[in-house]
Amino acid sequence: MNKSGEVLESSTREVMAECRDKDSIPPLGSLVKIETTPVILAVVYNVFTYCIEPNRRPTAYGLSIEELEEEQPQIFELLKTAFQAVIVGFYQDGVYHQFSPPLPPSLHSFVYPCSEEELKSFTEGKDFLRMIMNLNRGQSDEIIISFVRQAWTAYKRDKLFLIDMGKELSILFKDDYDRLRSIMRRIMK
Amino acid sequence: MTKKRKRLGAITKGSLVEGLEMKLDSAQSIEEIKAGKFIVIDGEKNQFFSMITDMRLDSTNPEILLNPPDEENGIMREILSGTNTYATVCLKPMLMVDKTTCPEEKPEIRPVKSIPAHFSGVYEAQDEDVSKIFGDEGLGTKYFNIGTPLDMKSPVCLNLERFVERSNGIFGKSGTGKTFLTRLVLSGLVRNSKAVNLIFDMHNEYGWDARKEGGGSAFVKGLKQLFNEKVAIFTLDPDSTRGREVQPDFTVQIPYNQIEVDDVLPLEEVLNLTSTALESSYLIRSRFEKEWLRTLLDQDSRDLSDFAEEIGADAKSIGALHRKLSRLKDFKFLTKKAPQVDAVQKIMEYIEKGKHIVLEFGRQSSLLCYLLVANILTRRIHHRYIKKTENYLCTKNPSDEPKHLVITIEEAHKFLNPCAAKQTIFGIIAREMRKYYVSLLVVDQRPSGIDDEVLSQLGTRITSQLNDEKDIQAVLTGVSNTAGLRAVLASLDSKQQALILGHAVPMPVVIKSRNYDEDFYRDMIKSSYTGKVVDISRVIARW
Ligand SMILES: Nc1ncnc2c1ncn2[C@@H]1O[C@H](COP(=O)(O)OP(=O)(O)O)[C@@H](O)[C@H]1O
Ligand SMILES: [Mg+2]
Repeated sequence: MNKSGEVLESSTREVMAECRDKDSIPPLGSLVKIETTPVILAVVYNVFTYCIEPNRRPTAYGLSIEELEEEQPQIFELLKTAFQAVIVGFYQDGVYHQFSPPLPPSLHSFVYPCSEEELKSFTEGKDFLRMIMNLNRGQSDEIIISFVRQAWTAYKRDKLFLIDMGKELSILFKDDYDRLRSIMRRIMK
Repeated sequence: MTKKRKRLGAITKGSLVEGLEMKLDSAQSIEEIKAGKFIVIDGEKNQFFSMITDMRLDSTNPEILLNPPDEENGIMREILSGTNTYATVCLKPMLMVDKTTCPEEKPEIRPVKSIPAHFSGVYEAQDEDVSKIFGDEGLGTKYFNIGTPLDMKSPVCLNLERFVERSNGIFGKSGTGKTFLTRLVLSGLVRNSKAVNLIFDMHNEYGWDARKEGGGSAFVKGLKQLFNEKVAIFTLDPDSTRGREVQPDFTVQIPYNQIEVDDVLPLEEVLNLTSTALESSYLIRSRFEKEWLRTLLDQDSRDLSDFAEEIGADAKSIGALHRKLSRLKDFKFLTKKAPQVDAVQKIMEYIEKGKHIVLEFGRQSSLLCYLLVANILTRRIHHRYIKKTENYLCTKNPSDEPKHLVITIEEAHKFLNPCAAKQTIFGIIAREMRKYYVSLLVVDQRPSGIDDEVLSQLGTRITSQLNDEKDIQAVLTGVSNTAGLRAVLASLDSKQQALILGHAVPMPVVIKSRNYDEDFYRDMIKSSYTGKVVDISRVIARW
């Protein structure tokens, strides 16, 4: 399986990992696994680029990507893509636990995308949603939408899955009916 | 517990007085919950047998109600259901059974004195719960299957021995199944020999072939057809009875000289008699004694003022009395000479032999006739019963003990309205609570017309649908804590459903009444009581 990245910053709450190349960037809201012991699961909540030379700033060249690769190949060495993922659980003794792992993922461990099967097994529990909700609100709603859309696809758009998920969200949102409505509307679009 | 019970929800709040509330599990559809359904609450120490009395839709957030999900958005509706929007079902706990009694012991069934803890599970009742509470025909002749709880198959039994300990009522608006229910109850009393019945059969529905609405055969069997020699058909109108190819056992005739002023009093309303007219009847009575009525009716209307003068009464009121009572002259069963066999004598003979009597009115189905005859006969029969009871209390000889008599009357509010109940024999019987071995089975579509005191004396009330709020209230007269039951009564189906409450059942219950059909006839015709063998052994094993 294609690696998504390598962990560069780590805590028990979230990780930052660098992508190897532009084809391995995990989509926002996707579930990834970090190959440490135990395997830790996280949901991508931010993808960004940065420059590894602290004194240089990327500038605009006015060239197409092909022309750039031809004429200025070094800038691709300097520009990196990375992502941040919020930890939503870990896999141990054949079960998914949906709370923080005892230790943070070790630095330089590899991050892989989860398969549809893994996504399905993981989303049998719904407690992880709380950990996504701990992100600030502007972020968390977007992440939940993307995450649920991906999981729903894995479930072949099964209505029951969406209803279960919706019920869980409605409990988490307490009385915020508008928020629930807007999220569900965007998931189903 | 043999089968797994179906869970409906969990208790969330409530009180002993006001009843309990349960949150319906979101997997359950509110549309399958019916008022009147018999359910069980599984508490920590007790099981609580309860009835569903009401239900409502609730939401955690008023905003949802302001912006309901779009109609096409079924998913959103389902998400909300059970979490933000939910159904609350109101329950009325009636009886409790200690869960800790070991299975060999007969569990003690008690009225509720406590309530189940928070979140106790609520389950659909099972067949064995029904027989635990309401008994089982296999347990003896006191139990009689009268129907089944809503959506269940196991029979609810009426305890006939308790039933005949009081006067009882069968109510419901027209066409709901009163007559059928009455036939069921009477069949039970006859088959299991729990009382002797005298039925004043205004519309000729109880003895032989009665009409049935709707599909299938247009006629149903009468008691005589089911129980043959245990039942006798008496008639006031032999031509009509024979016209229906029924051979009456006896033709009732009543001589004028048996009619007392007291028998005319109950006719006050139907005949629109004034009280002064009634007063003057006492004057005639004191002068002509037993022949008072005949003497009055024999007067030529032109000579009435002379007649009035002669007895010292007001001419106008004598005129009115004469005019109105003249309607009695149309009744062929009223005779000038005493008949060979006295009707009351004959009725008493039959009763003493334990034979049940259906008195058909034939074409004489006017209320006037019904009131008159029922009053005359009942007053005399009651009189005899008082004597017999006193004799029995004296001799204490078991063979002298009078047989319990149940008198069935229809249009009961005409006999038992607040005014009549004070003075007529039926009011007396209803109030004296079977002191003299006579009780009533009143059948009526307007219970609000019946005197409150009489209503509160009724032991068991079997009530089909009623629409009038006053009638619903009347049926619940003398029952404590009726809020929930009222809603249940108001939501009964318009046919073949009834709420039974009172002395003959351990807790109020809504039933679908037993089908009065071929199967029923077969069960009744089984000569002596045997029951179903399998049932008995099963039941014995369980207790
Ligand atoms: N237990 C029952 N078995 C069969 N049919 C019934 C039963 N109860 C009611 N019905 C149906 O309902 C109709 C009306 O019942 P009936 O007893 O005549 O009503 P009511 O006396 O209240 O006017 C009957 O003709 C019959 O078709
Ligand atoms: Mg009727």
